[in-house]
Amino acid sequence: MGKVIVITSGKGGVGKTTSTANLGTALAMISKKVVIIDADVGLRNLDVVMGLESRVVYTSMDVIEKRCELEKALVKDRRVEDLFLLAASQRNRKDDIKPEQMLDICERLKEIYDFVLVDSPAGIEQGFHNAAAGAEEAIIITTPDVSAIRDADRIIGLLQNQNIEPINLILNRLSPTLVKKGNMISKNDVLDILNIDLLGIVPEDPGVIASTNRGVPLVHNDGSPGADAYMRIARRMTGQRIPIPEMRDDNFFSNILKWFSRNK
Amino acid sequence: MENSIVKLRGYKDGLHLIITPKVDLVEVETAVKELLERMNQPLSGTSIHIDLTTSPLTSDDMKELETYLTENYDLVVSGVNILDENDESPILAAPATHSIAPNLQADDQPDFGQAKIVRQTIRSGQTTSCLTGSVLIYGDVNPGGEVVASGDIIVLGALRGNAHAGAHGKLSSVIIAMELVPLQLQIGTYVNRPPLGQKSRGYPEIARVGAEDVIIVEEFIKFN
Ligand SMILES: Nc1ncnc2c1ncn2[C@@H]1O[C@H](COP(=O)(O)OP(=O)(O)OP(=O)(O)O)[C@@H](O)[C@H]1O
Ligand SMILES: [Mg+2]
Repeated sequence: MGKVIVITSGKGGVGKTTSTANLGTALAMISKKVVIIDADVGLRNLDVVMGLESRVVYTSMDVIEKRCELEKALVKDRRVEDLFLLAASQRNRKDDIKPEQMLDICERLKEIYDFVLVDSPAGIEQGFHNAAAGAEEAIIITTPDVSAIRDADRIIGLLQNQNIEPINLILNRLSPTLVKKGNMISKNDVLDILNIDLLGIVPEDPGVIASTNRGVPLVHNDGSPGADAYMRIARRMTGQRIPIPEMRDDNFFSNILKWFSRNK
Repeated sequence: MENSIVKLRGYKDGLHLIITPKVDLVEVETAVKELLERMNQPLSGTSIHIDLTTSPLTSDDMKELETYLTENYDLVVSGVNILDENDESPILAAPATHSIAPNLQADDQPDFGQAKIVRQTIRSGQTTSCLTGSVLIYGDVNPGGEVVASGDIIVLGALRGNAHAGAHGKLSSVIIAMELVPLQLQIGTYVNRPPLGQKSRGYPEIARVGAEDVIIVEEFIKFN
């Protein structure tokens, strides 16, 4: 029996879709059977990021309204074995789906697949609740800025009320140089507030935008910092113990400063 | 056991009488009478909160309703909450002086009368309140989170959000936190907003109403 994991954030544009595409691909690359579900009804773009836009024939709405079988609606990835996409309808609106319907789809998929990753829309409204409805675990994406962290905190509270557990964190777009200059909130500051387990850190990587535009997830681009980070996160998701590399500079200087002031 | 105008609900902090909007006092009293008399359990001596949604009764109405509840049913009204229209959970609004039960002065209210212990972090968008005493939190209160107590507030973690102690006007109430870096503190009707971006000092601190009627914050060593 597989796991259903919702990938969510509260704030928009912090990297949910990027993370779903890359983690889905990375998990399939290490021989897991994976479905990624686009739950951002009306604003779908997981298919675009995956380069599968032209192959989408049916959507989750067609499955719900019984126009096609679930298996038939799954779009097979072009590059990796055992990776499938369930696209969202472009025409419908977020409240056209009901939580029970989402739950039903997830329950059926996890019988067959090892991982079912659900790309949630931004916000805390119906769309978010639908995306979370079938999930037993969650991955929170945040960037190191105050408003993204505040929204992540809000979302964590809502997920905890629904007994979703564990809730793990991916800190996206961390820039070591900015942290070093003291211009960015550090990893430890974020963990202090959110107080959930860190699944990984994805650095700011210009390769992300390039890969989004080509419709080829970054993890295919071996050796880029973002790809390496997502590969490590995927391995952690399968239970492997892979340490989270301390980003150089992160807190190095501020720790030294603290040490000095303590010894005065 | 409810009708359309008033509902009785049990929450973690006690019984709540929830009144729907757009009704007048007479309707409320009739509905309350009907509701309470249909109940088999005697509620005499129980303390309850009153929750109102928008378009609440006037404060004179509120006083009359409290008297009505006390005289006819021996209920002690321990708080009044103004609810969000779509929200079923109580959110506390500004302290209401009329919410103190008759014959009970603010300072007679027991400090730890019914202390509430919360074993979790209060996250953004979450509220916890205790209108019968103090609140003790084994966790943090994050920015956007809120704690309200008629007594003291003690946070065995970082207080980064909002805290309102002495919500019924008890000015000897205090707020203590291991890390006191709040967005806003309130004791009774006094408000204190620390400068933005203030960092934790690394030791526990206490906030209380000082001699000049302002909230002062100092290192918490021990209570005296
Ligand atoms: N690590 C990164 N480095 C650089 N750019 C990134 C990174 N992660 C995401 N981005 C960019 O940020 C933008 C938003 O990413 P994405 O669409 O994944 O966010 P989202 O959370 O799904 O947004 P929405 O809330 O609109 O669904 C994209 O242009 C993406 O290329
Ligand atoms: Mg998205």
